[in-house]
Amino acid sequence: MTSLLASCSVLHEFSMTSQIVKNVLDEAKKHNAKKVAEVHLVIGKLTFLGLEQVRFSYKVLTEGSIMENSKLLIETKDGAVKCSSCGYEGNLSTKDDPLYHMPVPTLQCPNCAGTVNIIGGRECLIKSVKLVVK
Amino acid sequence: MVRLKEVVEAEEGEVYDIELEADLLEANRRLAEKNRELLQRYDVKAIDIMGAIGSGKTSLIEKMVQALTGKYRIAAFKGDLTTTIDAERIERHGAKTVTITTGKECHLDANLVGKALQRLDLKEIDLLLIENVGNLICPAEFPLGADQRAVVVSVTEGPYMVIKHPFIFIDADVVAINKMDLADAMGVDMKKLASDVKRTNPKAKVALTNCRSGEGVKEVIDALQL
Repeated sequence: MTSLLASCSVLHEFSMTSQIVKNVLDEAKKHNAKKVAEVHLVIGKLTFLGLEQVRFSYKVLTEGSIMENSKLLIETKDGAVKCSSCGYEGNLSTKDDPLYHMPVPTLQCPNCAGTVNIIGGRECLIKSVKLVVK
Repeated sequence: MVRLKEVVEAEEGEVYDIELEADLLEANRRLAEKNRELLQRYDVKAIDIMGAIGSGKTSLIEKMVQALTGKYRIAAFKGDLTTTIDAERIERHGAKTVTITTGKECHLDANLVGKALQRLDLKEIDLLLIENVGNLICPAEFPLGADQRAVVVSVTEGPYMVIKHPFIFIDADVVAINKMDLADAMGVDMKKLASDVKRTNPKAKVALTNCRSGEGVKEVIDALQL
């Protein structure tokens, strides 16, 4: 079970990263770039993308292309929530559970008895690329 | 898909710095919105049913089709890596079923669901039950355009499934805690599982079910307001 879920999870990053690489290569082609020097991503903390797996997939997928050895910058973004009752805005709260020694995320508003909605932190953005054109 | 916002020529004209602002997950969310609009136009309610492999998603759908045939004209999408085994289980009960085989992908996405919607005559149905690929991680990332999302979690997955996969429960409107008949044998406290769901997502409605016998399926149907 463990290895199955783990492989699912790597697949997920692999397919997302393939799309990233495809988009960057398309962009590079538009500008007749000789090489891609840098790719800047923004990944929200509420996505299910493991950064380690994204980096690994990126390395594998760019081998032999003009993106090989390009610098991959990954900026992370916190999960943002807004309360529908009191208007509280902030990060997604976690509740520490002494039973499991781990913080569990919760939609309970830290400020009132209401529940919050997620308004940010689900990005998987190609923010910018640096292309070598001459 | 990629929007070119700005081109800045760097020093010596050697490097182009290009701002792309292309959000790949947003692309899926936009397609999900299209699916949602299409379903609304034909007045079709759609439920995305998620859960781990073997949690009882297909059994729940079978029992829902049995209970709701007559009230709704039902169709089902069955997401699987391969085979039509489960689709045949659902089709037996008279629901038009389209299998969506993802090949290697661990979740359905809005694009695949959009394609499957083209296979249905939406004028002929009122309720669409979408069974996602068995997985508690990736499906949460990809909304499909359904009105509501349900998660099936079974006691045979152990006592910590909710706490270990909180994010799929954060997106759930209804949670079925399944295989209640096996709770004692498994030594799993269903009330604890239910309170774990509520703590992570106070908005989620929880039902205890045995989807093989049909016990508790009415509670799921009521929770989904069907």
